[in-house]
Amino acid sequence: MTTIIEARDLSKTYGDVQALSHVTLSVEKGALFGLLGPNGSGKTTMIKMLTGQTRPTVGSATVLGVDVIRDPVGVRGLVGIIPEQETPPSFLTAIEYLEFVAAVRKITDIEKKADWWFDFLDFADKKNVLCKDLSRGTRQKLMFTQAFIHEPELALIDEPLINFDPIMQDLVKDYLAGYVKKGKTIFISTHILEVAEEICSGFAILHKGTLLHTGPVTGLTARGEHLPSFFLSLVRKDRHV
Amino acid sequence: MFDLFINMVKEEWRVHSTMFGSLSFALFPVMIFGIAFMGSFLIPLMRKTLPAGNLALIVHANYLMLGIMVGGFGLLGNEVMNRRFGQASLLAYSARSLPLSEKFIFSNFVVKDTVYYFFLWVLPFGFGYILASPFTGVSLAATLLLLLTLTLSFLFGLCGVFFLSAVYARSRPVLWLILLAIGMGVGGLATMSGTNPVLFFPPLLLNSAFTWTNLFISCAVLALLFGVAIVLFNPESVGSEKTYRNSFAPLLRRFSFLPNPPFATKDTLDLYRSGSLVGQTIFSFLLPLGVIWFFLALLGPFFPPHGLLFIFAITTGVIASTMYTWITMFDTFGPYACLPVAVSTLIGSKLTTFAILQVLPATFIAAVATLSGEVTYLVPAVVLGISVSFYAVSVMAWLCGLSPNVLVYDVKVLFVYLVLVGIVLVVFTSVAFADPYFALLSVILVIPTWLLVRKAKARWDAVDPAGF
Ligand SMILES: Nc1ncnc2c1ncn2[C@@H]1O[C@H](COP(=O)(O)OP(=O)(O)O)[C@@H](O)[C@H]1O
Ligand SMILES: [Mg+2]
Repeated sequence: MTTIIEARDLSKTYGDVQALSHVTLSVEKGALFGLLGPNGSGKTTMIKMLTGQTRPTVGSATVLGVDVIRDPVGVRGLVGIIPEQETPPSFLTAIEYLEFVAAVRKITDIEKKADWWFDFLDFADKKNVLCKDLSRGTRQKLMFTQAFIHEPELALIDEPLINFDPIMQDLVKDYLAGYVKKGKTIFISTHILEVAEEICSGFAILHKGTLLHTGPVTGLTARGEHLPSFFLSLVRKDRHV
Repeated sequence: MFDLFINMVKEEWRVHSTMFGSLSFALFPVMIFGIAFMGSFLIPLMRKTLPAGNLALIVHANYLMLGIMVGGFGLLGNEVMNRRFGQASLLAYSARSLPLSEKFIFSNFVVKDTVYYFFLWVLPFGFGYILASPFTGVSLAATLLLLLTLTLSFLFGLCGVFFLSAVYARSRPVLWLILLAIGMGVGGLATMSGTNPVLFFPPLLLNSAFTWTNLFISCAVLALLFGVAIVLFNPESVGSEKTYRNSFAPLLRRFSFLPNPPFATKDTLDLYRSGSLVGQTIFSFLLPLGVIWFFLALLGPFFPPHGLLFIFAITTGVIASTMYTWITMFDTFGPYACLPVAVSTLIGSKLTTFAILQVLPATFIAAVATLSGEVTYLVPAVVLGISVSFYAVSVMAWLCGLSPNVLVYDVKVLFVYLVLVGIVLVVFTSVAFADPYFALLSVILVIPTWLLVRKAKARWDAVDPAGF
């Protein structure tokens, strides 16, 4: 087994807020890994550090063998990222944004690849619309496309399903499951536990910046436990200590 | 109803103060105060070379400019609401979900901007001057009058741009008609009276001879401009989806000779489609420079021969360097964070776009040199203006990275900026005054420029990219 993500003792403080403390975590090739936790538990911070968007206060991490502190741009060149909040630039159209991404990432044959995605996520009618005039859902489709269009070895997605309708959610879940079957790896953050239980192979639970648990989903189901109840009992216990 | 206003002011304060600590920000007006206070002591000295009226002229011109700049920055209509607030979800945006009309929110926003900048810039300056008056022998009444007329100058700039930009958002042809009418009016006034039309600028008239009628007229004009602008303000029509033919690939090919083609392409489409290229060129470049030209022209006799042209070239250079803020103002690092792009790459690409935009000031200085009958000095004047512009922008990039609009309010940043740019201005003004062709020496500014850009890239790569 190859280790794709290796985080050692990662901590991040913003002023006097301890967003993440001493998280050690590894993710193997081919996993669909879910990072679970309530709002404000540090999921976004974790993804940002793993993709070199923000520097850890303490600790280190390698992603696809690249040190995220020493070569943040290198890491971002290898992976695909869907950030939690960011939207595509206002004054490019959907297709132009994808061409921009292609030019930056040096992706060839972009027209054909883009058309496949417009078709797959059903937004070909928005191809030439300015990004600022797109609905939230359509923007999310576009961000999804930019993260996968170069078929990265690893994709990190912050709350992947949040702006999608049920039909899209289903489509995307299937896509993610199929993607890891091809030997690629996916790291998602979510607080929708049912989805995590349904599609993830491994998971970790964060609460107030601390790692409470990490392990395979199968270990849980073998014991007859369900992810949502397991999560709730762990977090509630932690809240009372 | 007043709540919204108060909260907007608080918010503006927090936006600025969280960036670099409240103290550093709170010191900003103190510094303006200090500059005015100490500057006042130079007045008796300057009196020897410049008649008193001309000094008043310069100060009023500065405040008019300030108003124009604040207005131009804050008031490009819908675009600002969308771009400055669309994603950051500040009050101006979120208040839309409250039962308040867009016009109401917008007028609050404008008044807030006015009050905010008044306390940040206008008042501290006037105050410094007043406190210095016992020492400089200027009467208190005169200083109070100055504070009043400076405030009016500031408001004339602000409301004027606010009015014009509201017209601009509605109809470009009408804007051109109004500008043409103003131009003809000013020209007519100049030929009929045989003097520089700037002398009829109401706050200046008021400053040289106070009358209640004059004050009343000034206020009425301001209220009219403001009122019409609010009425014209057009809340964004919802549901309109703008579509464009794909122009990315063809432009990308055309820009392939540049260092960062995809970014230059994106910036070009951004500037063009948002209307900020035309809007900013008019409101943040041509308009202020046009005004400055009239004011400077009055001082012409006090400069050495050809001095006016070179002073103007340098001023154009400094103003042109603020074009860097046009291209960074609305473009945060956020959308690039998921791509393999370093902050230094983005700084480099913004400077490339900036370099292309320098065609505007170069053409402008050349035109002024030609029209004022100084074609002989066209080349040195253009070289001086553009060198100063590149140097000033490199200082800005080093000090502020991708956020010049925000970080300028950090006292330390502003201070270093003023010193570094000020030295160069003084040196090259003197050099050009000594002999017009010496202005060509300003090309040596490429050395500090190059070094500063290198330092800027290293410096801003080493910190977490800011989300503003
Ligand atoms: N840029 C920032 N500055 C200050 N505090 C931050 C910043 N980003 C996140 N935080 C804080 O860090 C904690 C973790 O946030 P985040 O990683 O966004 O959690 P999650 O994604 O799990 O909701 C929260 O308390 C949040 O307020
Ligand atoms: Mg989050």
